[in-house]
Amino acid sequence: MSMQRDAMASGRVVAPWHVFLLVALGVVSLGPVLLLVLRAAAASWLYPDLLPSRGATGSTLGAFATPILWSALTRSVLLAVATAVVATLLGFVAGRGLVRAPRGLRELATGAAFLPVVAPPIALGVGIQVLAIRAGVGGSLVGVLIAHVIPAAGYLTLYFLGVLSAYDRSMEDEARTLGATAWQTFLRVTVPALRARWLEALVLGALVSWGQLALTLLVGGGAVQTLPVALLSFTRAGDDRLAAAAALLLTIPPALAFGVVQRGARRTGASA
Amino acid sequence: MNACLRTGAARFDAGRRERDAVRHRSSAGYVAVTLVSAPVVAGTLYSLAAAFGLVGAGSTGWDASRIMRVIGSSETWQSVLWTLYTAGVATIIAVIGAIALSVVLQRSGVGRALATFPLAVPYVAAGLAALLLLGQSGFFSRVAFAAGAVHDPAGFPELVYDRPGIALILAFAWKEFPFLALTAFAVLDTRGAELADTARTLGASAAATFRRVTLPLLWRGIAPATIAGFAYLVGQYELAVLLAPSAPQPLSVITYERASDPDLSRRGEAHVLGLLAMTLCGALVVVHGRSLRNADARGGASA
Repeated sequence: MSMQRDAMASGRVVAPWHVFLLVALGVVSLGPVLLLVLRAAAASWLYPDLLPSRGATGSTLGAFATPILWSALTRSVLLAVATAVVATLLGFVAGRGLVRAPRGLRELATGAAFLPVVAPPIALGVGIQVLAIRAGVGGSLVGVLIAHVIPAAGYLTLYFLGVLSAYDRSMEDEARTLGATAWQTFLRVTVPALRARWLEALVLGALVSWGQLALTLLVGGGAVQTLPVALLSFTRAGDDRLAAAAALLLTIPPALAFGVVQRGARRTGASA
Repeated sequence: MNACLRTGAARFDAGRRERDAVRHRSSAGYVAVTLVSAPVVAGTLYSLAAAFGLVGAGSTGWDASRIMRVIGSSETWQSVLWTLYTAGVATIIAVIGAIALSVVLQRSGVGRALATFPLAVPYVAAGLAALLLLGQSGFFSRVAFAAGAVHDPAGFPELVYDRPGIALILAFAWKEFPFLALTAFAVLDTRGAELADTARTLGASAAATFRRVTLPLLWRGIAPATIAGFAYLVGQYELAVLLAPSAPQPLSVITYERASDPDLSRRGEAHVLGLLAMTLCGALVVVHGRSLRNADARGGASA
């Protein structure tokens, strides 16, 4: 056992059961996504067939020629980008204000930022649905954007609270003492110093919006068709192929972001 | 003398500017925190008012009948219990999987990447994959057909929209497991190897080391994440709407149905259910906070 572990640590000899386990894990982790790829590519996939028949009519990428899919994708991308930017700014300003606040106030405010993170989106959505309609943004892209920003900004406030409590502000103070304005200090010192953190925050904010269904349905009232909403309606209409195409479009961007984050983590030595 | 005065004045000026800046920054921070939390507070207050019939569709003025109707209905409690059951079983599966794999694959980069990959798959996409995999005409059903175990889709057991919620539980576990595995890997990275090696050096067997050192360490480390994950699953909507049966309905689905009920007088019930879900998750957050503090305290003591 100990020899095996040493062997694994040196990365040369790998036990067969270890390989078997990795393959099994690979099947469990990647299998469902592979199934989505097959389903999206197959024009038809009749019941007892284990794999789609090759002679089926229609092209492999036929499902992606559906305009609804692309308009839903555009809307989802817009929402994710806007949510990321707004929530990152809000989260940064809130986190920064909280870091230096007196202890009692800081705990109270941190609790307040925790609210949108822990409130189930469906419960939150029910509460703000009518308020959004009253405010004239119900059933609109702007209303859905505001709804997505709520949990995203909560996450990012907590995120920046963590990042900034470990961040050394002496450089900024130096810049201010040397006569830089607050805005110059922010642009020339703070932004470059936190470069990687901005990117992570934006990715995190975009992800909160990206897979969101409950808030979009409640505040958008079904009128704002994002990719998750389209996926749900394709599934309900029994169009598995289009639903699978939507699911793939939903999976690819986070999978890429995930790869980038993993590589970044490896480069900084944060993960082996 | 003059120069000295000027320097002093400049210092004073800089100091004041900095204090102003700090004050300015914190007030901007409070405005931002207020902006972040206000919608939740406003939504909750609105839900409270609507639960008592003061506002919203079908409002009747001060009247607790909605609340009594929801709380007195066996449908509500069946829904709550079923939601806790599916989230609970999924969490148990995910915890066992995360602990086992993190120990075995601790030093495998490929293993880590594979174990955490499902994090990248949005819930709705995972839900559809579960339908295509576990549905009666899904992939497993076809495998069973090829093996001669079933002769038509109806012969395959109902795993989707079923009372035991098999597909929902498996999909929950599939999405929850990588989150816990990530935490478990982090726990082992910080203290695991060192403590285990010490135990082995002191003569403990591999099994004893796992049972007495690695397992307790892992459990303490991932307990907060486990509670947070469980709370998240309790409120989860995306997988529930795709995979759950119509009776009993998960809490999130029943809440959405009431919120869009054609019978306006029933919409107030959505607010009662929403508040119920918030209370459940709020209670779990309190437990989470406690376990986090405990983990910190124990970690501090043992480090």
